[in-house]
Amino acid sequence: MRAFSFLVLTLALTLPLSGQEIYDLLLKNGHVIDPANHRNGHFDVAVTGGRIARVGADLPASHARIVVDAGQYYVTPGLVDIDTDFNWIGSELGLKPEAETFQSGVTTAVDAGGSSWRSFEEFKKLVIDHSRTRLLAFLSIEDDRDADAVAAMAQKYPQAIVGIRTRNAIDAALKAAERSHTIVMSESGSSRLRPGDIQTHVYSRPLTSRKSGVLYDVGHGPDGFWFRVAVPMMQRGFLPDTISSGLDRNSATLPRATMIDVMSKMLNIGMTLPQVIERSTVNPARAIHRADLGTLSEGAIADVAIIEQQTGKFGYLDSGRAKLIGDRKLACVLTVRNGQVVWDTEGLSLPDASTAGPYTNFK
Amino acid sequence: MNPCNLFRAAALSCSLLSAQTYDLLIKGGHVIDPANRIDRVMDVAVSGNRIARVAAAIPPSQGRKVIDAAGLYVTPGLIDLHAHVYGYDGSLFPDDTALIAGTTTVVDAGGSGWRTFDDFRKTVIARSSTRVLVFLNIVGHGMHSQYESDPADMAPEPTAKKIEENRDVIVGIKTAHFGGVGWAAIRSAVQAGRLAKVPVMVDDRILTNSGRTSREKLLDQLRPGDMHTHIFNDRQLELIDRFTGKVQPYVWEARKRGLLFDLGHGAGSFLWPVASQAMAQGFLPDTISTDLHATSILMAQPDMPNCISKMMLLGMSLPDAILRSTMNPAKSIHRFPELGTLNEGAAADIAVFALPSGVFAFKDSWHVKRLGTKRLECVLTVRDGKLVFDRDGLGFPLWSTAGAYQVIP
Repeated sequence: MRAFSFLVLTLALTLPLSGQEIYDLLLKNGHVIDPANHRNGHFDVAVTGGRIARVGADLPASHARIVVDAGQYYVTPGLVDIDTDFNWIGSELGLKPEAETFQSGVTTAVDAGGSSWRSFEEFKKLVIDHSRTRLLAFLSIEDDRDADAVAAMAQKYPQAIVGIRTRNAIDAALKAAERSHTIVMSESGSSRLRPGDIQTHVYSRPLTSRKSGVLYDVGHGPDGFWFRVAVPMMQRGFLPDTISSGLDRNSATLPRATMIDVMSKMLNIGMTLPQVIERSTVNPARAIHRADLGTLSEGAIADVAIIEQQTGKFGYLDSGRAKLIGDRKLACVLTVRNGQVVWDTEGLSLPDASTAGPYTNFK
Repeated sequence: MNPCNLFRAAALSCSLLSAQTYDLLIKGGHVIDPANRIDRVMDVAVSGNRIARVAAAIPPSQGRKVIDAAGLYVTPGLIDLHAHVYGYDGSLFPDDTALIAGTTTVVDAGGSGWRTFDDFRKTVIARSSTRVLVFLNIVGHGMHSQYESDPADMAPEPTAKKIEENRDVIVGIKTAHFGGVGWAAIRSAVQAGRLAKVPVMVDDRILTNSGRTSREKLLDQLRPGDMHTHIFNDRQLELIDRFTGKVQPYVWEARKRGLLFDLGHGAGSFLWPVASQAMAQGFLPDTISTDLHATSILMAQPDMPNCISKMMLLGMSLPDAILRSTMNPAKSIHRFPELGTLNEGAAADIAVFALPSGVFAFKDSWHVKRLGTKRLECVLTVRDGKLVFDRDGLGFPLWSTAGAYQVIP
């Protein structure tokens, strides 16, 4: 029996190598940036059954149902945006994820305080459970500061609730986080934040020192990001640990604070592209204790973004609507969620009309 | 004197004063305003929430905020005649889908009925910067699969009454997805349209055993000014005869009679083989509209600039596409010249576009692509006189020279 198992295991390991594997999707020759696996170079990424099947050089195109030529683009893990507002059922400023996530390459979005322990279950039933984008949540504690109730709800839904969001109820938030073994995301700075807790809106007021272990997040939104603060801080080497959009109804159009726009802004004020990707994928995934996300490891859920870096002259607005002129812009051209292509601006995965045949019942 | 003329008179008398300053001045853009046959470089000035002046070479010193639109196109804010912003499972909010696309007016196509309209008005219309107008569903509960095929919930009188009470936003009636036998839905919708004196937008399916096998008979029941949406799919109007490859004679006939045909792209209603054959034979949509919703927004991406780009790929000129995205839809809902033009005195709803060259993919509803060389992209949107979208920050100062700024107006 043991010998048989060994045989099966050996076969399973050697089959893909012997070229018997069929891929659902093969992203060919893109510049892969996968900081979790220290990859930064040209590789092929193969997807099968909703999982990353293989990352390597020269995977055979003939083995794939759909082949995407990613040669001009960067291939990264699906982006993880840890500050969003998608509780459109319960929050005045909530947006709908369908219009604001895959377009940016975001495959996991964390609603940051749009629901409380009282409203979370309705949010889950009406929004989270219907969303193709993976939605997670920080629970708000502001309304009644009931740490016990918040902790109990977080423990009831450990798959969906990643932490507690607070503006200025830091004591109650820390208490709830300790009881539920989750983290706090705080809008205001506090010396009481623990290693692993997150201080967001890092570029809303000048900060000179970091507290060891505390994570500093962008959280752009309608009032969290100012060039007059960010540019000098960046020049002093104060980089964010995580990049997030803070996107809500007050920041979706003016200033445009989608995830990919916020990443473009960071790129233009001094960060390198690998730094930007690291802080938009593996770092936020680890921050919310979901190391299974934000990576292109073989076997991981196949959430992937294909990103174009355009060069030219581009204007960006901050929360105060002041402008920065930059020379680079990121655009998401294709998004894979759970192995499916869900966004494809350039039609990279799609057939051309000239070869599509009579694809309607109309001839 | 009607208010429009009053504004015009005010604008005229003001423009005689040399010290005139405008709140917003869009300079040097190529203005396309089909209603006024403008298709050349002009400046557009806004005072308050009205177009104050369209002229060549308005001095920049006369604008409090000046936008350099050189190399860009300036058009009336686009009007999307077929949007979904309420009631339907896949509906989206208007602001983050319309305003970033140069669309300043959306017409919700049947999300609400007379029973649910008040909630729509309170929860979405009142809270949106986008101008939201409404085709009221003949179904009292609106676009709900549970009720769409129930003739008992298609009451013309309460529908007409709700329209009467909300003429500021309700502009017509929608009937869609009727799964029952016979013509009850169409007849009730047209009856309500007669009572309220508004047009009807039809989205009818040919269904086995419905008794509705003749498109001719459907169009016969509609009045001049009524419209059929989803014209470029393969299953509703049967626009192209599948044996001859020709646009159906009854469709030409209906158009001659004054019926209107709306694009309504969506997730199932824009197919390259149908659209390309129809347009090659000169059958163009009267109005360009998106049917944008949670599904179609992803792969086909049919926002208004995308639909316009697709029309251009199939041979339509940009000015003609703008006509069918501004003046034509405004006329079809009886909102012209308040909307759909840059007339002095009209609502200051303006879109600014870039038209870059390159190789771009355009995908139909069944996710088949065609490559084109021009793509219309919205750069800036003005709604009710205010900048509401500004992709490149054209209307705002550099942070490095703005001092200790707070939020810059």
